[in-house]
Amino acid sequence: MLKGSDLIRDPARDVGFPLGAAAVQFGVLVLGGLVYTAIVGGSAERLVTAMMIDAIMVIGIQIYVGNTGVLSFGHIGFGAIAGYAFAVLAIAPQRKGTVIRNAPWGLDEVQLHPALAVGVALVVALIAAAIVGVGLARSGTKSGSVSATVITLALLFVTHEIAINWTDLTGGDRAGLSFSIGATLDSRIPVYLTLFGAIVVARLFAQSRSGRLAKAAREDNLAARAMGVNPQVQQMIALLISVAVVTLAASLRVYEIGNITPKFFFFQYTLLTLVMLIVGGRNGVTGALVGVVVITAGRELTRKLASDGYEVFGVGLDGAPADWIFREGLSDIFLGGAMLGFMVFRPNGLLDDWELDEWFRRRFGAKAEAQPGPLSEIEAPEPLQLEVADVTVQFGGFRALSGASVVADNSEIVGLIGPNGAGKTTLLNVVTGLVQPTEGSVKLGSVDLTNAASHELARNGLVRTFQNLRLFSSLTVRENVEVASRVAAAHRVKRRRPDVDSLIAEAGLWEHRNRRARELDYGNSRRLELARAAAMSPSFLLLDEPTSGMSDAESAEMIEQVRHMAATVGAGVLVIDHDLNFITGISDRIYVLDQGRMIAVGSPDSIQADPLVRAAYLGSGPED
Amino acid sequence: MDQLIQILVDGLGRGSIYALLALGIAVIFGVMHLLNFAHGALITVSGYVAYWAFISGLSWYVIAPLVVLAAVATSLAVEQVAFRWVRGASDFTLLLTSFGVHFIVEAIFLMYVSASVKNFNRPGWISNTFSVGSASIEVFDAVVIGVTLVTLVLTAALLQRTMFGLSLRAAAEDFDTARLMGVKSDRVIRGAFALSGVLAGVAAIFWLMRAGQTTPGAGVTPMLKGVLAALIGGLGSLRGAVLGGFVLGVAEVALRSRLPDNIASLTDGVVFVLIALLFIFRPQGLISVSHAERV
Repeated sequence: MLKGSDLIRDPARDVGFPLGAAAVQFGVLVLGGLVYTAIVGGSAERLVTAMMIDAIMVIGIQIYVGNTGVLSFGHIGFGAIAGYAFAVLAIAPQRKGTVIRNAPWGLDEVQLHPALAVGVALVVALIAAAIVGVGLARSGTKSGSVSATVITLALLFVTHEIAINWTDLTGGDRAGLSFSIGATLDSRIPVYLTLFGAIVVARLFAQSRSGRLAKAAREDNLAARAMGVNPQVQQMIALLISVAVVTLAASLRVYEIGNITPKFFFFQYTLLTLVMLIVGGRNGVTGALVGVVVITAGRELTRKLASDGYEVFGVGLDGAPADWIFREGLSDIFLGGAMLGFMVFRPNGLLDDWELDEWFRRRFGAKAEAQPGPLSEIEAPEPLQLEVADVTVQFGGFRALSGASVVADNSEIVGLIGPNGAGKTTLLNVVTGLVQPTEGSVKLGSVDLTNAASHELARNGLVRTFQNLRLFSSLTVRENVEVASRVAAAHRVKRRRPDVDSLIAEAGLWEHRNRRARELDYGNSRRLELARAAAMSPSFLLLDEPTSGMSDAESAEMIEQVRHMAATVGAGVLVIDHDLNFITGISDRIYVLDQGRMIAVGSPDSIQADPLVRAAYLGSGPED
Repeated sequence: MDQLIQILVDGLGRGSIYALLALGIAVIFGVMHLLNFAHGALITVSGYVAYWAFISGLSWYVIAPLVVLAAVATSLAVEQVAFRWVRGASDFTLLLTSFGVHFIVEAIFLMYVSASVKNFNRPGWISNTFSVGSASIEVFDAVVIGVTLVTLVLTAALLQRTMFGLSLRAAAEDFDTARLMGVKSDRVIRGAFALSGVLAGVAAIFWLMRAGQTTPGAGVTPMLKGVLAALIGGLGSLRGAVLGGFVLGVAEVALRSRLPDNIASLTDGVVFVLIALLFIFRPQGLISVSHAERV
């Protein structure tokens, strides 16, 4: 089971600073609201309250969209479900009589305390979210999934259809549920409390184990699975938390306005909240808040300009041109234009994933970190054998592997060579669950792992790197390694787990530890991928062309690094390459693959001398 | 039996319009990987063109080609103004860009026309029926199905027999490789938007004939139906889009006639739920297009 120290790796970073920053952000919003109200007068109070509620809604959406990278049009649909559930339950029966006399299940007789009504709304919305979440998971949702977005859009329309047509429950399109439960929201305290709570929840989730794994899957779904992350579980968790926050926002919105109609939670509000999220920066909570403020201000200004026109400036903008611009609809143009403008010029928004608490930590919390010393090597790990037996892979009419077998012990480094197209990567894909074998089996010790899912194989200790580099590119070097280490903490319990910082130091990346992975040069990226794989405490490291694109000197260095990393975590190595020098330099034994068949196996010396290998390998095509 | 024929014809008539919309969406998805939420804007613009033409006293025979022209012009204009700047951007960016375009078009009509409903007369023959055996068929459905089939055959010929069609299919298969092979990306993308506009224009004629009115937000429903049909068929497959359109149309009509009266008004909701179920059991849609990830 996970220990506390595995759930919260760094209390200051993951809890302390986020709490402090949330208090500051909350304080600025509240103070700003008070100052604005004091200047403009009482009429501004509603605007400020509405903005606070929008902020809760946008943060709710950010929790899902930001951490998973999936664009959802459906959150306002969840808002509609929650809003109606809240309204129907909280309205006094005598008020309901005029609108929904025939409500099902005797709901027209019910009246709950608003707080209790929110609780029921929460349950209803979460059930809906769980159902939609299963659908999203089934359709293979990942960052930027187009079909996921359409599913969420369909949800928005379903809820709208139901709201319009189920008149017995909702009062339909025109009536709206007139809302009078003694008073509408007469104090802003619940809004303030919820807003502070939402900011805290969003930041703590982003820093949590689940949030970090979700972000890894957002950056690279396939690599995350290869590191033992099950993206669908993390997406579901993000969805449920995000819908819970959305539910609170929706209930408050209904309470504040005092009634609900189908169009309250439909396209227009979806656009508004998404523009707020996008303009500020969807990947961060601070960005989301900034977006809410900027867009609220912009919309209010364009509205004023549209209704009062040139009077706002008090100068002579009279006449046709001004009339053509300052008219009703201007604020919609503003919203649509902001969306387009940011998508074209600044798709990650004003702040991207910049967070106030991280800035505080860099500014005030930075203590000198000493570079950790080298890691000791494990002399003799408990013996374990990887056995790939008679694997055949058929892609339509093309047979990529025919009856290939490999046996490797976790005390040795096994090389796999062959010309381009020999089936090397396909074999590795079979072992890591990216390709299902047509025939044959994959066994680790006594456990049969044939056809297991990618993240299951990784959790069992078969951990790979990729030929074309798959890092979590906008996460930092340390965060990349930490993702693997967190998975290991849950699933590689019996293994020795090397310290994250020590691994980074071993890989020669200590000075780069706080840089984003995408800023690294090629060689460092390769070394980071190796360190990340090692942090999984694998039983076997499966390396797909770890030296491709490296100079000879770097390749030679890589040999030492692979040996040392493997010994540190007590893992065997199966390494693919078509660089004969590298493979013979690193391997204890070598398999030779040609056109999907194993044609030889032996020590590096015997392989180099084998005439069959020379013919197949050197004769059947130029190296690239 | 008669009822079955009636449902089928009615459903195919409805589905024809969805198929045209979905095909237009699939063509653009093919070349740009853009799921165009702004596709409905073409219907909105066409609607106002039809309205203005109508109050100028023009007949539907003149209005129809004007509607197609308007859709093509809008499609090309939107590509020039918005989509060309985000070519090759992430799916996330593309989706939101088209969402933004949708709202800007809506807001322009809100600003410069009005939010109110603009009515125009439907053609006189639209509610006429004729009998086949004892089933009575709407003339309108027959015309829609006929015109749609001709449009689809012409589109298929364009895609199969011309150099442009070959480039477009190649680009849909693998855009970068197609470009390396000398396919002019600019021309293919503009061609795809023009073709998408033609298809939307033909769909718009029938959509407007049936609706007899337009509003700034009129494009939302046709957009949603087109997008769903494309998704049902399998995103990226042109044949799938057409198939998805017909399936969606027939399913809607069949459900509306079969559901008990008290929930018949929720037909669209039920259809959405069915689509969700389809995705749970067949996530890739009816016709799957493999997008293998290279590792």
